[in-house]
Amino acid sequence: MVKESGYQWKLGMFVIVGLFLFVGTIYFVGKQKNLFGSTIELYSKFNSVNGLAVGNNVRLSGINIGTVEDIEFLNDTSVVIKMVIKDEVRKYIKKDAVASINSDGLMGDKVLTITSGKKSTILINDQDYIRSKKAIEMDDLMVSVKKSVDNAGLITAELAQFSSSMNNGDGALSKLVSDKKFGNSVDNMVTSLEASASEFETFTTSMNNGKGALSKLISNERMGNSIDSSLTNVKTATKGLNEVIEAAKHNFLLRGFFNKKKKVEDKKLEEEQEIEEAEMKKALKMDQKNDSINK
Amino acid sequence: MNQTLTIQKERLGTYLNQSFIEVGRATEFAIRFFKEAIRPPYEFKELLKQCYLIGYKSLPLVTITGFIMGLVLTLQSRPTLAEFGAESWLPSMVALSLIREIAPVITALICAGKVASGIGAELGSMKVTEQIDAMEVSAINPFKYLVVTRIMATTLMIPLLVIYADGIGIVGGYMGINIHGDVNVVRYLSQVIESITFLDIFPATIKTFFFGYFIGMIGCYKGYNAENGTESVGKAANSAVVTASLTIFIIDMIAVQVTDLFF
Repeated sequence: MVKESGYQWKLGMFVIVGLFLFVGTIYFVGKQKNLFGSTIELYSKFNSVNGLAVGNNVRLSGINIGTVEDIEFLNDTSVVIKMVIKDEVRKYIKKDAVASINSDGLMGDKVLTITSGKKSTILINDQDYIRSKKAIEMDDLMVSVKKSVDNAGLITAELAQFSSSMNNGDGALSKLVSDKKFGNSVDNMVTSLEASASEFETFTTSMNNGKGALSKLISNERMGNSIDSSLTNVKTATKGLNEVIEAAKHNFLLRGFFNKKKKVEDKKLEEEQEIEEAEMKKALKMDQKNDSINK
Repeated sequence: MNQTLTIQKERLGTYLNQSFIEVGRATEFAIRFFKEAIRPPYEFKELLKQCYLIGYKSLPLVTITGFIMGLVLTLQSRPTLAEFGAESWLPSMVALSLIREIAPVITALICAGKVASGIGAELGSMKVTEQIDAMEVSAINPFKYLVVTRIMATTLMIPLLVIYADGIGIVGGYMGINIHGDVNVVRYLSQVIESITFLDIFPATIKTFFFGYFIGMIGCYKGYNAENGTESVGKAANSAVVTASLTIFIIDMIAVQVTDLFF
């Protein structure tokens, strides 16, 4: 049979450890649900709670500070949420704090997130109401995603059309991309451009540094001055020559030659005027004829 | 043809009749337990001894089973959760499954196998060898001494064993998670505690008292009412295990329904 003293302490140990485990679990679960610390109650009004349930966590800066205690209808359009949070975090929540409903990951539970206010310096009190922000609903998200997807579809179709025309089209850009012949001619053009550029470089170098007349004309100041004085001389000479010709016109030996030349010029002018008048008369006659036909 | 049908009808009638009688006797037995349990004198010494034999002696079996349950549950659930990229939910899932269902039911079934059969065989052999009659003759109430102490011991010890199984199972779960990954023990335990609510703990704990009560009651009833002959000892033990196991599942179903209804 079982020895009395032997089994009794074993049984005692067994029971104590078991109860300790049970009480410990109860304590930690209770602590998690803020049952043993001092707490305050806060309220917030929402139009929709998006599936938030009693017992969901309340977070401030990502840290769990409490739980949702109760959710009740206030009227036909709004719902009031009662939350219980730790008293020790009250000092971080101002009067202008905002509550919003978010998801804990894609598949996770809903969480009530409190964003601590910045402008106000007054702390919240027990039983206070805090403002709420409309939650992003899944339907809204899906509508926006659908719009983006539609746009992406349009862009993709246009991109497909663009690439197709790039591959098969006749435009310059298309040929540049797909036509080998065009590519070769562009290549040749570039090569000849390079050659021209090289020749132009030689030309400009020789223009700057060469000893030829054109080079000197561009870069030599003395040459420029001498050309300038030559042109002044030419101008003076021309003026003198005009005076000589005018004098010659009045000379009796040469007067006949100049009068004859003037007469030929006048006659030529008269003939031109006659031709113009005849053409004008012809055009007028044609117009009158057309008018009579229309009538 | 007609005669065979009549015989079958008669057999069914007899079977039903016997079943009703059995249920009636069991109910009477259960009521008698409460009467005898309240009425002094109390057999504390025997109660402690039975608690030791039923509770402490079953601990190694429950520890091994609980550990394996936690470990296996984690390893089996992992691939499914990994498919959704939700491996971080493993501690919560394992803890909830263990505390709500697996630990209570598995522990109760283990105890039904070990304890109910033990009680059935013990009391059955005492009945067969007329020890119970001898006790009555020597002015000791055999029901109080043998039955009340055992039923009370199972009612008190099964919940404790379940708490152990929960704890050990959670340790097993931690081992299971650390086979593939590397999770800090503090992080693991905080995740477990985070996911558990009182609604998970209390209904599960309350139902274990019923498991314990019925394991003791069925074991004692089968043993106490064993017929004469050594064969009936084996029958009593066997019947005790089968009936207790079945009853555990029925109670579990009722408990889940009630919990679902009220919470």
